[in-house]
Amino acid sequence: MSAFWYYAFTLVFFLFDYFILAMGLNIQYGETGILNFAYIGFVAIGAYVTGAVSLPNSAGTGQHYILGWGLPFPINLLIGGLTASAFAVIVALITLRRLRTDYLAMVLISLSLVLYDVCINYVPLFNGADGLYNIPEPLAGVFKLTTNSFIPVFAVVTGVISMIMWFVMSRITRSPLGRTFRAIRDDDGVAAALGKNVFRYQLTSMLIGSFYAGIGGGLIIQFGGSFNPTAWLPGETFVVFAVIIVGGVGNNVGMLVGALLVETLLVHLPAFLPAIPGHAGLIEYIDAMVIGILLMVMLWFRPQGVVPEPIRRGGESPSKFSDRLFKSKSRTLTEAAKPAFVTTNEIEVGGTGHE
Amino acid sequence: MRQKWGEVQVQLFWFAFGFGLVTASVLTIAAVGLSLQFGITNYINFAYGDFMALGAFITYVLNNELLHWNIWVALIGGSLAMGVLSVVLSQLILSPFARRFNKTFYVLIVTFGLSLILLNLMYSIWGANVRFYNVAINRALHIGPLLLTKNQLIIMAIAIVIMTGVHVLLKTTRLGKSMRAMSDNTTLAMTSGIDTRRITTITWFLSGTLAGLAGSVLGLTEGNLTPASGELFLFVIFAAVIVGGVGSIYGAMAGAVLIGLATEVSAAFINPAYKLDIAFIILILTLLFRPSGLFARPGKG
Amino acid sequence: MSESVQPGISAIPDGDSALRCEDLTKAFQGVRAVNGATFSVPKNQITALIGPNGAGKTTVVNILSGSMNCDSGSEHLGDTDVTNWESHRIARLGLMRTFQLSREFGGLTVLENMLVAPKDQAGESFFNLLFRPGIAKREEKLNVERALEVLRTYGLYALRDNRARELSGGQKKLLEISRAVMASPKILLLDEPMAGVNPALIERIGGYILDLKAQGVTVLMIEHNLNVVEKICDHVIVLAEGRTLATGRLSELRANKEVVKAYLGEVIDASTTN
Repeated sequence: MSAFWYYAFTLVFFLFDYFILAMGLNIQYGETGILNFAYIGFVAIGAYVTGAVSLPNSAGTGQHYILGWGLPFPINLLIGGLTASAFAVIVALITLRRLRTDYLAMVLISLSLVLYDVCINYVPLFNGADGLYNIPEPLAGVFKLTTNSFIPVFAVVTGVISMIMWFVMSRITRSPLGRTFRAIRDDDGVAAALGKNVFRYQLTSMLIGSFYAGIGGGLIIQFGGSFNPTAWLPGETFVVFAVIIVGGVGNNVGMLVGALLVETLLVHLPAFLPAIPGHAGLIEYIDAMVIGILLMVMLWFRPQGVVPEPIRRGGESPSKFSDRLFKSKSRTLTEAAKPAFVTTNEIEVGGTGHE
Repeated sequence: MRQKWGEVQVQLFWFAFGFGLVTASVLTIAAVGLSLQFGITNYINFAYGDFMALGAFITYVLNNELLHWNIWVALIGGSLAMGVLSVVLSQLILSPFARRFNKTFYVLIVTFGLSLILLNLMYSIWGANVRFYNVAINRALHIGPLLLTKNQLIIMAIAIVIMTGVHVLLKTTRLGKSMRAMSDNTTLAMTSGIDTRRITTITWFLSGTLAGLAGSVLGLTEGNLTPASGELFLFVIFAAVIVGGVGSIYGAMAGAVLIGLATEVSAAFINPAYKLDIAFIILILTLLFRPSGLFARPGKG
Repeated sequence: MSESVQPGISAIPDGDSALRCEDLTKAFQGVRAVNGATFSVPKNQITALIGPNGAGKTTVVNILSGSMNCDSGSEHLGDTDVTNWESHRIARLGLMRTFQLSREFGGLTVLENMLVAPKDQAGESFFNLLFRPGIAKREEKLNVERALEVLRTYGLYALRDNRARELSGGQKKLLEISRAVMASPKILLLDEPMAGVNPALIERIGGYILDLKAQGVTVLMIEHNLNVVEKICDHVIVLAEGRTLATGRLSELRANKEVVKAYLGEVIDASTTN
């Protein structure tokens, strides 16, 4: 396969993978208003666990890691996603109840840094700074793939998975659950005053979003065969924020658009540019700055993103069935709604002296 | 003569205590800067770590690249330069965003973005290689049971001067009183005739200067600096501010001392690679058992 | 027990009290905003909570609805002690409140604002969404129909698909009330429902409040407009300096010297022209 197709399908993979990651962050931030600055940590947990669970027992591999159950794809992927979710529950229980926005963001970003630190320093966990590698190729038995054909096939597999996850996320955001999330985002005090257990909904949102994060991370390690700390510096969370904000917060199609614009075009395309001699890594640095500046420009001029949050239209006129059901009620309401106590004189008098 | 086991432990403890005081000094300077800024603007600057690193690099340039100044003079230069840069960045980027949106979400994301930009700017200019200050290595002195170098003592002195200075500023000067008023209730302060814009600018200058100072001093105590040094230290500063009690400057000082000592003393007994993570554990414990911190100000938590 | 030995405060038998509080106190940084508020809100009547600015009325309502904790004192909803319960738990017992400055869910449409209100919707459960979508759909349909009816009643039907943040001040007030009504409240706390509203709208809102009473809802409203209080309220509670000054019918209170001194004397009201 020519180099062009190799690059193209790699881009396609990351497009769909970041689509999944964007949906996971969007349900937390865009829909529920939780500033999860530790998002990349959950992605990493998904990646590491997916990898560690699919590797054989660590003895003799030259790597150090926990688990090592030798499980196949897609079981390892599911376990990765669920572990990220479980972790989210613990984090939510400790932090969500006690902190408001700024402090929550501070604690979460600290969590991200500490996780990073621990993963690098505590080698028995996930092989420290070297990370995990030699991950068994997924679907190897099923498809008999060569190294070359693996990339397009897995890109397509990831695409299919992302479509399924899009379908599920769509159901959620269009449902009363999604609506309650948005209500909490807009004003959690009023939501509580209407009887919503805000903490429980925030927890649910983080649980779902972290599952998506874990799946996205697991797919990364399955695609590349390896995963190490350079892939997930805490600043990576910001890239995912850029994806959802540029694409359009609160809109699932916006997630795909954002993934295309930011991840594919800005992050990965430049990686294929030739390096400037004498300045190793300069392109990556400038690239990151461009993303940061793009985000600020977007937030200033078009904060709703390329594809803004849709207006969800609701009612049609009531059906005949409910007419019969609600007829008596509606008559009482409509008729009694006539002002019952005011005459013209009193309007004039009542109108003066009061605002 | 072999020392008894207990004696060695005690000695280690005091050495660690000494390091703890030095770390606490760095933390105090940083935490006070962050606290001042948060008190006035009401949002946390997530790029603060990068402010520290940038200040440290300016000091480096003055000390070891362009000008070859004495480290302490360079330090002052670097800090003040960062103070000015901080004002510029706040006027150009942060304040406009803060004014425009009424939810703090947005400006927090902007500070996060600024962090990314500054970090990569530093990487572009100076690369990822480790840099060193041009400073004479000096021997450690015995001060009571503590073992500290001359530089470390100077750093501690700087921290004490800063703490006293901030205290005097807040309690006695008109500027300080205006700052406290703004921190309590911005709207009321505005209607009382306090020039909030001017105070905000001054606060950013102070915050940036302290950040630059803290970053440079961090570079001295660590012995090296990279563009990411500030970011990696940021969560320790957050821990100090939250444990001390958000919104309170004195809380930030107390938190800094506590975290500084705790991290170093624990490093004497556990694997030193994790000593900063101890700060995070203390933070979590505080959240679980005393969420408002040691000296919380009501209304900010 | 709402036995009160203070003059001017009429005791209400417990059985008839929908909501009562005893000796509530709340201080902010040393200043006592509420300093011994004790009163009882009679069932199925419209009660006004009046008093000069700074008397602590909104703070009391915040405490009663659970968005703030009191430093001491107690609160009962019917027979249940709800002192310092979280707001969502109190809301689930049937106590709804509105806010003085309307707080709508800005990004949601008017209809969606209404649809947030019903409690325990099947569609709010993730489990149901995955495994029992039919139940969620059916319930949603019924909720939509009811919401549209209420919107029609309050005259907001035409705006149902507009984003709530685009509404005018008066429309937001109506949305605030109709949304609380959608939640099927037993007790409704209204924080200055007539504030900043033109006279025609005041009549309409007054009408809606009377309808709610006719449907069995208990209403407690903070209100400065004594004209309105006179016309629709059955019972009045006067708060001054954070504590209950007097309770009773407005006519009785006008004769109460302390009340007049603290409050009524400062207000230009229409009754003096009678």
